[in-house]
Amino acid sequence: MNSPLSLLTTALCLSVLTFSGCAAGKPRKSPPGPDSVAVSGTRDGKTAVSADDDLGEYELVRIPDPIEPINRGTFWFNHQLYRYALRPISKTYEKVVPRPARQGIRNVFRNVEFPVRFVNYTLQGNFARAGQETGKFCVNTVLGVGGLMTPAEKFPLLANVPPTDTGLTFAKWGIGHGCYLMIPVIGPRSARDTVGLAGDWALHPLTWVGFFYGTWAWTIPVSAGNTLAVMPEKFDLYDTATENAVDPYVAMRTGYFQYRNEAAKR
Amino acid sequence: MNIRPIVAVLFALLLGPALAPAGATDQAEKRLKEAVDEAIAIASRAPSHAALAEELRPVLIRAISFEAMTRRAVGPGWRQFTDAQRKKATALFTTLIIRNYCGKFTLGERPVVKYKPGVEPAPGRVEVPTTILYKGSHYAVNYRLEASEGWRITDVQVEGVSLIANYRAQFDALFKKGGAEAVLNSLSQAVASSK
Repeated sequence: MNSPLSLLTTALCLSVLTFSGCAAGKPRKSPPGPDSVAVSGTRDGKTAVSADDDLGEYELVRIPDPIEPINRGTFWFNHQLYRYALRPISKTYEKVVPRPARQGIRNVFRNVEFPVRFVNYTLQGNFARAGQETGKFCVNTVLGVGGLMTPAEKFPLLANVPPTDTGLTFAKWGIGHGCYLMIPVIGPRSARDTVGLAGDWALHPLTWVGFFYGTWAWTIPVSAGNTLAVMPEKFDLYDTATENAVDPYVAMRTGYFQYRNEAAKR
Repeated sequence: MNIRPIVAVLFALLLGPALAPAGATDQAEKRLKEAVDEAIAIASRAPSHAALAEELRPVLIRAISFEAMTRRAVGPGWRQFTDAQRKKATALFTTLIIRNYCGKFTLGERPVVKYKPGVEPAPGRVEVPTTILYKGSHYAVNYRLEASEGWRITDVQVEGVSLIANYRAQFDALFKKGGAEAVLNSLSQAVASSK
């Protein structure tokens, strides 16, 4: 989340939310359709593997999806975009740029995004993680040559700190997902996480530099570089959710909510 | 008075509950590691994805409880499936899951799996968290195993996304629209499609 495009899409989605009457937590006027289903998790205590008494093992939770036909159309558009444009670009990037270089580029971008994680952990009241993020940033910037390498991962106190963002801060504050949205190019988001994108954008150092210099043109190639760096990993997760699905749209929606709910628990 | 027997009984009472789950988790972890190692060994020498799928199939059939996976993915609607429909659904779902698993491998790439201590949330059930380093990225992958003809995998969660929960949502919508036949038709289409 680091380009004017993201702000534009956030504004677009907020207007969609407004016009569709969809707000976080607002009850639906009509019962949700059969597609508006996600899975909350599994129940404990059942161990039968051969009987039929474990059929309710995976409980279903309704996900509000009031603009499902529009979302499905956007999902189809994104799928074609990924398949015919972005995935070939991502594959070429993987072939042309050696893995250590790709890893270094990704590390630098993650290091630069430190304020997003630091501020959000602080807002969540998780000062230990905010401190860990600060330590990581200092170690990786100084010893890791500006963040190219991640020596902080070798310090047990600083290793494996899960990432966070504004959407997860909202989750920690008890704000629910609201309705489901499929955003052009970017992909799936809940209403809550779409608003969170604006927070991430405001906290990103590229945004500050853009405001400071009053020009955004130079942020486009930088953002493109970041997007290229994370695309292979994102496509792997996208494929995990949609490949071999009997309904890829439902698979993506369910996968997104599970992924974000799990991230909010960490 | 010889207090050794009393001390021994006390130790047994105190440590017994702790030791029992460790035995279950140890067995489940051992079985998981064997299956994962075997799968990685096959993947690292397979000349093509077709060969990989062919060689992996018997390994996965031994390691995974596909019948439990299919039943739970369909949910309560499973009761309305006839025996023939159940067999067909399980066979199709097995093919889909094996293809899904094989598709995760890039030929020539070897994943590094780190196992964390397993937990036993309920008797006969063990969850083993792992982190997998693959193609330069780290993924949190949790395996769920259950005791049924030995320890067998009944679900896999990648970054919190449960394989079975994901299919459960898809099958639920299909079943409500068209019953068992709708589920079977969609499964057949998914298996028939190249990707």
